[in-house]
Amino acid sequence: MSRLERVAVVAAGVTTPIGQDLDAFWSSLLTGASGISTIERFPVADLRVGRGGEIKKLTRIKRWDRVPDCRATRLLVSAADELIAQAPLGPAVVEPARLAVVVGTALGGVEEGERALAGEGPRRRLRGALYDSPGDNLARWLGARGPALTVSTACASGATALGIGADMLRQGQADLVVAGGYDILCRFVMRGFDALRSLTRDEVRPFDKRRSGLLLGEAAALVLLAREADAGRAPLGYLRGHASTGDGSHISAPDPDGRGLEHAARLALAEAGVGPEDVDFVSAHGTATPLNDRIETAVLKRVLGPRAPSVPVNSIKATMGHTMGAAATLEAIMCLLAGRHGQIPPTRHLEVPDPECDLDYVPGTARAFRPRLSLSTSLGFGGCNGALVLESA
Amino acid sequence: MSQAAGIPAPSVRAAGLCSAWGAGAAAVPADARAAAAGRSLLGLGRPALQGERFRRATRECLWALAAVEAMLEDGRAERGAIAGDRTALLFVSAAVYGASNRAFIEGTGGGTHFAYTAPAVIPAEAAIEYRLRGPSVLLIGGPPAALRAMWYAATLLAARACDRALVLGVETFEECADLYARARRRTAPPLVEAAACLWLEPGDGRLVLRSGRGGSRPDGARRLGDMLAVGPLAEVALRRHEGHPDPLGLTGAWRGEVANLIITKGAG
Repeated sequence: MSRLERVAVVAAGVTTPIGQDLDAFWSSLLTGASGISTIERFPVADLRVGRGGEIKKLTRIKRWDRVPDCRATRLLVSAADELIAQAPLGPAVVEPARLAVVVGTALGGVEEGERALAGEGPRRRLRGALYDSPGDNLARWLGARGPALTVSTACASGATALGIGADMLRQGQADLVVAGGYDILCRFVMRGFDALRSLTRDEVRPFDKRRSGLLLGEAAALVLLAREADAGRAPLGYLRGHASTGDGSHISAPDPDGRGLEHAARLALAEAGVGPEDVDFVSAHGTATPLNDRIETAVLKRVLGPRAPSVPVNSIKATMGHTMGAAATLEAIMCLLAGRHGQIPPTRHLEVPDPECDLDYVPGTARAFRPRLSLSTSLGFGGCNGALVLESA
Repeated sequence: MSQAAGIPAPSVRAAGLCSAWGAGAAAVPADARAAAAGRSLLGLGRPALQGERFRRATRECLWALAAVEAMLEDGRAERGAIAGDRTALLFVSAAVYGASNRAFIEGTGGGTHFAYTAPAVIPAEAAIEYRLRGPSVLLIGGPPAALRAMWYAATLLAARACDRALVLGVETFEECADLYARARRRTAPPLVEAAACLWLEPGDGRLVLRSGRGGSRPDGARRLGDMLAVGPLAEVALRRHEGHPDPLGLTGAWRGEVANLIITKGAG
């Protein structure tokens, strides 16, 4: 594959447990503020673990008149509100038919299904249970009349969405693309991960020898993508390469050798037209499950080769939990902010090194370092893998 | 309609279709509504696949495998021909996850069932069975999502990210039949459970995908019934069966979007 046209990341918007705009999100990542708390929005007393990265109150939007009573939609709209505050998207800027929306999710509107089946609210609530409902609601809120896509490569969805959005621009399917990911905390997903015994009662400790699992979080993260020639103003950075691959190994566990993730990383670097020697920084999936972190470390060593020990790698999931469909987009935004501000957020709660995880994970405090080229990796159920190559502006 | 420049079109090496009408495209009736004889939903049941690995798998996963098997049969190919990291797998569905989600929500699925609520697990079962380890994408939506999956397959082939691309779709409805009965206005009965898989390879034409808002619902469902996202894939299988190996034009509508995928031959 040859080098493709760079796609500009013009603006971004986030709704997270550690901040409901980019500034708050970034400063929380740097200072180590925690978004983890006891979940209050629905009952968790019967679960082994009832903590997560819950957003206690959506503060950005005061009136929800035009927005369905669907939490996933509201997280997306809140993130979109920040996005359009930076980069207005009215008809004067882009013909509505040329504005596309591509969002990734692991859960879609499943909470609407839970509520409808429990007899809460009107029957039409069931329609909101379709996984593409929140994305469609977002497109309507934005006034976008171009293609509206929902991708669901599990917890790699936020990477796949950005990649497909970039391809849509390169091929003239749209002139601007709002792309990203979202997922919410609800009983459905908390019960599921609780049953799988994937949730930790301890802190989330990516790459730490004592790591014992993940915590979930909820978030929405969106970026505005444009062809480089159309970016028009100082962008946050560029999306250079993407790949999403399948392991073909197991329905819920990653391939023990990480072959699919390695393939994704190599394809993304090839699409970007760069080599492993060009990678300055890696944003790892880093869920803090024993298996994930060991596999990911081994893959990064193979992909980066002899330079691997000297390339900083971080995981931000200890700060706000694993935000599933939003995670990869949040991490992509983090990579670009690291380039802009010359700081790499630390991997929180990494205190006891694991001999099998022996890369430079930026433990403790933020590090002064300005990455130009970043690699972001993601994994998910179904053997889904995602890799993005991002370039700072 | 949004305009889009064409990209090199893939050719259809093989197509597999399993539907409630019966095995393959030959079973598709001339008129779905007449053949349904008043039934609003036609179910597929559970395919009889042997093997311990399939004991816990949901029937939608098994139909995904059955569609790939039907595709291999149509292409007279062994499974080894598609194995490896040079085969892309693109999965599309509007609502196939409904059955598993409902079972988990209502407590009939059990804790270990949770993994099956992820739509990604359906193509994963096919990927495991056929050792598909290449690029993989999953789109959720109706017929336009299927057309966009074909477009993305063409994109991956044109970029040489893979040598072949499988576009797989599955839709099942029976477990949520009561819910679909409530939403009958949203679908075009009869709802027909189906799974289909296309094997695409680099071709010599051009592929153009256009989409827009509004317009009338295409009547592709007249013969097939409403298969949601599987509809366009089934239509390709049907055309192939009837002697039109390359789809020249496919239309799909969903949530107000109408998408057209056009393949012209020989201009590549």
